[in-house]
Amino acid sequence: MSQPTTPTPSDKPATIKIQVDGREVEADPKQPLIRACHDSGVDVPMYCYHPGLTPVGSCRICQVEVAAAPGQPSRVVAACRTPVSPGMVVQTDTPKAHETRRECLEFLLKNHPLDCPICDKAGECDLQDYSFNEGQGKGRSSEPRRKLEKRKSLGDVIVLDEERCILCSRCVRFFQDVTHKPQLTVSGLGSRSTISTFGDKPLTGNYQGNLADICPVGALTLKPFRFQARVWNLSKSLSTCAECSRGCSITVEALRGKEVKRFRPRFNAQVNQYWMCDTGRFAYAPVTQPLAPAGSALGGRLAGAAVRGYGGLELVEVEPALAEAADILAAHPKPLVLLSPFATQEEARAALELCATLGVAARFVSPAPSALKDDLLNTGDPCPNRRGLTELGLAPVEPAQARVELAQARAALLIGERIQELLEPAELAKLPAELRLVVFDVCAHDLPALDVAVGAPTHVEKSGQWLNIDGHVGVLNVAVPPPAGVGPLERTLRELRAALAPSAATR
Amino acid sequence: MDVPQPLIWIAKIVVIFGGLVGTAALMSLAERKVSAWMQYRIGPNRVGPFGLLQPLADGIKFIFKEELIPAGANKFMFRLAPALSAAPAMLTMAVIPIGGTAVIAGREIPLSIADVDIGVLFLLAFSGLSIYGVILGGWASNSKYSLLGGLRASAQMISYELTLILTILAVVALEGTLNLRAISENQASIGQWNIWTQPLAFVLFTITMFAETNRHPFDFAECEPELVGGFHTEYSAMRFALYFLGEYCAMTVLSCLNATLFLGGPSVPFWPEAPWFIGVAAFCLKAGFFLFLFLWVRWSLPRMRFDQLMRLGWKVFLPLALANLLVTGAFISFGAH
Amino acid sequence: MVIVQRKELTFAERLYLPEIFRGLSITFSKFFEKPITRQYPEEPLPTDEVTRGQPRLVVKDDGNIACVSCGMCEIACPAYAITIDGGETDRQIEREPKRFEIDMLRCILCGFCEEACPKDAIFMSNELELADTTRRGLVYDLEKLKRPKSALQPRIDYVYRINKRWRSKQP
Ligand code: SF4
Ligand code: SF4
Ligand code: SF4
Ligand code: FES
Repeated sequence: MSQPTTPTPSDKPATIKIQVDGREVEADPKQPLIRACHDSGVDVPMYCYHPGLTPVGSCRICQVEVAAAPGQPSRVVAACRTPVSPGMVVQTDTPKAHETRRECLEFLLKNHPLDCPICDKAGECDLQDYSFNEGQGKGRSSEPRRKLEKRKSLGDVIVLDEERCILCSRCVRFFQDVTHKPQLTVSGLGSRSTISTFGDKPLTGNYQGNLADICPVGALTLKPFRFQARVWNLSKSLSTCAECSRGCSITVEALRGKEVKRFRPRFNAQVNQYWMCDTGRFAYAPVTQPLAPAGSALGGRLAGAAVRGYGGLELVEVEPALAEAADILAAHPKPLVLLSPFATQEEARAALELCATLGVAARFVSPAPSALKDDLLNTGDPCPNRRGLTELGLAPVEPAQARVELAQARAALLIGERIQELLEPAELAKLPAELRLVVFDVCAHDLPALDVAVGAPTHVEKSGQWLNIDGHVGVLNVAVPPPAGVGPLERTLRELRAALAPSAATR
Repeated sequence: MDVPQPLIWIAKIVVIFGGLVGTAALMSLAERKVSAWMQYRIGPNRVGPFGLLQPLADGIKFIFKEELIPAGANKFMFRLAPALSAAPAMLTMAVIPIGGTAVIAGREIPLSIADVDIGVLFLLAFSGLSIYGVILGGWASNSKYSLLGGLRASAQMISYELTLILTILAVVALEGTLNLRAISENQASIGQWNIWTQPLAFVLFTITMFAETNRHPFDFAECEPELVGGFHTEYSAMRFALYFLGEYCAMTVLSCLNATLFLGGPSVPFWPEAPWFIGVAAFCLKAGFFLFLFLWVRWSLPRMRFDQLMRLGWKVFLPLALANLLVTGAFISFGAH
Repeated sequence: MVIVQRKELTFAERLYLPEIFRGLSITFSKFFEKPITRQYPEEPLPTDEVTRGQPRLVVKDDGNIACVSCGMCEIACPAYAITIDGGETDRQIEREPKRFEIDMLRCILCGFCEEACPKDAIFMSNELELADTTRRGLVYDLEKLKRPKSALQPRIDYVYRINKRWRSKQP
């Protein structure tokens, strides 16, 4: 990926000492004063400053009182544009500092529509928070507020509400500093200034979604998320993006703890900084599939297990299904075992133990790189745990090659989320019915060869670890509960192994 | 017209027991109505005119409710106990003369089911039996509340049964007979009523009546605040209702007995020649007054404490009743003749 | 420790009987007084704008619901009775509830939702009756909650009146 525009806190440069609110703190001389304040735990408000973008100092909300040395006369400066100097004395909590911030807020709110009840940002809005902390309860202006466009589409991903915009220009700088392809600018004069694209063309690129994250107010919102949930109803869990081998750190946000509504990037200095691509951001379709209709194993998530009976796939408890799978695998020596590249390290280890019992080698399905590869984050490799699986000794196998081997095998075991999709269900359906196929996947497909299917959790329903392409650990946490009847995949694998070789499992 | 004697017996049984059970049912309504009136309320008024069919509705409800028997209960005893409590209370009604002699179509019919010479003894013996229902029910439920309720009931019954018997004994001594019909006939005019000769016995009997029937302010066997429901905590449905039936029947019988012993039974004041049905009405009025007294007291007075109850029974009522009997005896031996 | 001096009782008091008769006469005298019972379904409770009945949603005079599904009432509700899912609308207001449910079995009629609503969209009606044969039937959805503004107007006026000192202007 390209170099971030600002060094990250993990780089350990020589520090200097300054005083913030009466405390001696270490400060990085290459960083603006506001970073020193934040790093020492002092909250200084900010709108235009973003640690991942070049500071411009346009909003003035970050003003603090600064003196060159103790006893020197102090003055109010914008913390995001002030370099630190040794021995400087910073006071964030003085009447003068508060007064300037309050005045600044009054100007920002002068033309702000204050339609928080319908604003998607409400609840995580910096303007709300700082107004609550610092602002005044009443506006003094009796002029009408400006009227601008409230639903301006900026492409497929972003909607702009011009009235809410406080012209912090973070979005403009995002394209300049991060993707290096400027697409936005501030146009117009005075109170009629708005954000617009060059020539009113829609935004392009795979990183537009980040605009909604960096916009400190509700001016830029995500089309897919628009009005979907109030943010305080979202439960947040730390997780890792599954869509490429970069493994961006993300937060999974689920409405009332049940329904995944949003993936947002989470700061990770080694992997993704503050950003993520839109492919990963909007990839919640695979984890929000509905359950299969009651009484059926097909057409949605498989809650529980299914085995082939005379009338097709029949729903059964997990235990008899595993017994059936064990029978199949025991009756056919050297079955083919394939793992999904979505398997976690834990699942892969369990699978390796199982393979040791079966006396075969496990491999993982590795589809060809996609065209999504770019020079920022997306690696184009759709295997989030390629590095981890490789380090565990699993060899990759192309889907086409895997299908050829499947057609020749007598029994096969496919393990992990989305493995049928990666091997293409339409192609799998052509496999001969004589093949005894056991699948542990989130859903069952209508394959003639399929004998036993056991439901598996998606990556937002389990905890575990992936290794990204550079070897950084990406954690997965249970963000939403798996459907009733679906247990952790590593447990299913252990139970299968126990069913195969009771003595081996208890060792 | 010649109606065979057995038919007349059956008719009497039906009328008198029917009346008893009917009174008991009505009492369950009266209890709620009286309490309502005393508290500025209206009381049940939804079923039938003025809520008169409420007892019927309650009965139907009780019959169709699910019956629960606690685990660990002695099932046989548990089932038997309510019947043991209700049956004796009903049986005692047999010896109470509710009137003099009715003359219907020229035939003379004495207005009691059984005209036994030892009526008082019979009555005491059977009313003493009903305590078994309470104790057994409390014990068989296998619940601490029930057991405590049952034990309290037995202690209370023993203490007050004594006083009750001693007061009755005073009347019996005075009248010289155990036959209730004879006792009531001996008080034909208002001047002969035993209440004048035995005022202390009347007061003691009336108060003891409350304790005997486990009624407020002596309802320690139930005692909601301490024992949930006392001996019938674990009972439900019809068996629960049976306990109440027994209680109301016992109240009715004791009210009748009080009227018979002290208020001249069916005698109408200042009208010795009153026809028999007026006599029955007078009897009902007198008994009805005591029934009302039961309700009235319940909704007016607070419950006593158990130790107070025992102290009252043994240290006040028993000596008083004994003294009363002694004085009566002395009066009979030395005074009258 | 406190030593309570009990009152010495006179003989008449210790006899109890006079006091018992006094008690009985008190209850008996109440016998003939007028009952204060209200025969409920036939004589409904009087309600006025101060009555805090079940919350209802305002339908404005133009036929649109006033609620913008901001979720303020949902988060204010101490009984977790309200569930709202919003969605986009073509109206100027942009957002409206697609699902708005109040579980009347959970609602404790506290009126917090009315107080929280920034849009004057939910008010406590004077409807108090609540009966159904299923629990689900008592989870009221949008259609069951909608009331024309005119029906809620007395309550709206009342709320404005008592809140006047905090509000700068009438709607
Ligand atoms: S941007 Fe913030 S302050 Fe403005 S309407 Fe949205 S939530 Fe409210
Ligand atoms: S009245 Fe109170 S409990 Fe009922 S919905 Fe409103 S906030 Fe919730
Ligand atoms: S507070 Fe008002 S506007 Fe907001 S969701 Fe509730 S009823 Fe709707
Ligand atoms: S954050 Fe410093 S001026 Fe905007």
